[in-house]
Amino acid sequence: MTLIRPEGRPAESAAAEPCAIAWRAPTGREGLGCWIVQPKTPRPGATPLLAIHGINRGADGLAGAFAAQAAAEGRTVIAPLFAEENWRGYQRLVAPRRADLALMALLEDLRLSGVIGAGRVDLFGYSGGAQCAHRFAMLHPQQVRRLSACAAGWWTFPDAAAFPYGHGGAADGWGARMAAALPEFLRLDIAVSVGGDDDRPDPAMRSAPAIDAQQGRSRLERARRWTGALIAAAATRGLPAPKVSFTVLPGAGHDFTACARAGLVGLTLGRFA
Amino acid sequence: MDASTTLTASFALSLADAAKWAFTTRRVDHAAVHGLSVAFDTARTGDLVLGRVERIGSHKNIQLVCGRPSALYPGDAVVLACGARYAADQFEGVAEIDPDGADMLAGGGVLGRLREKNGRMAAPTRIIPLGLLTGADGRALNLDRFALPRALRPRGLPVIGLIGAGMNSGKTDAAASLAHGLMRAGLRVAAIKGTGTGAFGDVNAYADAGAHVTLDFTDAGMASTYREPLPRVVAGLDTLLAEAAARDCDVAVVEIADGVLQRETAALLADPTARSAFDGFLYACPDALSAVGGVAALAPHGVRPQALTGLISRAPLALTEAEAATGLRVISREALRDPAAAMAVLRAATAPLAAAA
Repeated sequence: MTLIRPEGRPAESAAAEPCAIAWRAPTGREGLGCWIVQPKTPRPGATPLLAIHGINRGADGLAGAFAAQAAAEGRTVIAPLFAEENWRGYQRLVAPRRADLALMALLEDLRLSGVIGAGRVDLFGYSGGAQCAHRFAMLHPQQVRRLSACAAGWWTFPDAAAFPYGHGGAADGWGARMAAALPEFLRLDIAVSVGGDDDRPDPAMRSAPAIDAQQGRSRLERARRWTGALIAAAATRGLPAPKVSFTVLPGAGHDFTACARAGLVGLTLGRFA
Repeated sequence: MDASTTLTASFALSLADAAKWAFTTRRVDHAAVHGLSVAFDTARTGDLVLGRVERIGSHKNIQLVCGRPSALYPGDAVVLACGARYAADQFEGVAEIDPDGADMLAGGGVLGRLREKNGRMAAPTRIIPLGLLTGADGRALNLDRFALPRALRPRGLPVIGLIGAGMNSGKTDAAASLAHGLMRAGLRVAAIKGTGTGAFGDVNAYADAGAHVTLDFTDAGMASTYREPLPRVVAGLDTLLAEAAARDCDVAVVEIADGVLQRETAALLADPTARSAFDGFLYACPDALSAVGGVAALAPHGVRPQALTGLISRAPLALTEAEAATGLRVISREALRDPAAAMAVLRAATAPLAAAA
């Protein structure tokens, strides 16, 4: 396969694989560019994977990491780029700008251009991308089939804390909208993961007494608590037990490559095949 | 068949072929026209009337089947549907055809007899009826012959109703905006005008908003729902919902015409069978007092709107008064166009269904 960087220059080559990777430029200031991995032999009806990068904005790395296995399964991978000059804070999804609308517009464009079919997508996010992804799935579960969120720095919990920490706040605010969507969200397949060595406080993480008390002090603890909170939320509401898994990726710290090597790609794609 | 009848039929076919066919007749197969009858005393609502424009009045255009308005000129041949109209801002009239001249009650193509008009309105455009279009059997052709087949109300299709304080309270704008928001959220949306007078403005607005399926009561064979028996109006609504479900829609947004005190609208909201078609309602109104009055008028029917919307959302002071007085929040059309907000409206309406699923 060949990776084409945004400026159009080939970046690396690998052994021939049954897919093509290409950069799709953003349309307009509000639009998102993205890497697209298309299998040479698409599987009819296969659910595309929308993979959202962390704040290092390594969209091309995500596309490359998922490319081979996704192509083998006949699936398309979309890895949008939230360019820093326009999309600081994208991981919070709805503020300061509407990353959710940008993602939905991108998906619609891709559907109209025949890159992906109609219907839901599988959604993956790593670190800041996991923040964005889980909030997107909580707000728009009707767009998502399965969610794989790895190593989010912090989460929106299905509790009464004010949004974005929880679903509380104004009666017609984002938290309330997510609360209304919670039963649908809890019907999704949800895979939560985190590196086993990502178990200590990190200066890059949001930390304060309130959030630490709610979520814990490390990504590992926060992921574990969020998983438990989903299960508890379903039970409290009398809903069926959610199909949520929690996986600790052995030997991996806060490093996407290490997490991928420790089974994240298989966890994200394999169980979704 | 004598010579004069043959001549009349031939003339009718030629003239009808050249006429401007109004929006209300959009489902009619022109090949079904075989002749003309002047038995105007037998005309009933929905019958197709061929006429000539005698005098231009309030309606200077006719809404064509193709979806554009056409300027009217004296002498124009037109085909409209006999029907009644209730429009507080315009005309009230009944489905009767006077051989000496009938009234164009609606630009969408409703011909009848004017009874009342708003003081700001000019006299209606006058149409000289040439005859009722007839079929091969000699009987008047009626819209119901070309309607969707009657169908039972579908199960499992979420339905959000748009009701309002009256004409021009913002219902259509709100319905179109909600349809747009739901469409952007990824749903396949039907937008339906459930009651009212045949006109293309509403369905065009729904189509412009991106609704995948647009329907109105003319698809159920009615030129107007005014003075129609409630069972027929409800059967028509059920048929339209069934059509939406058959065309794979995920949700239907249904606008109910006029205000909640209007006869057919009030009857529909008071009827448990009709009301049960809806999972929730938004109430459009222009000011705080109409918000309070509407909420009070709906309460005896067990209807409490999910939220207020419409013109009031553009008036911050009125909005604040209405929210305080009713305990309901106001949703603007801009908010309804947002997929997250639109889905929140849908989810609030269907929450009991979701809990039971």
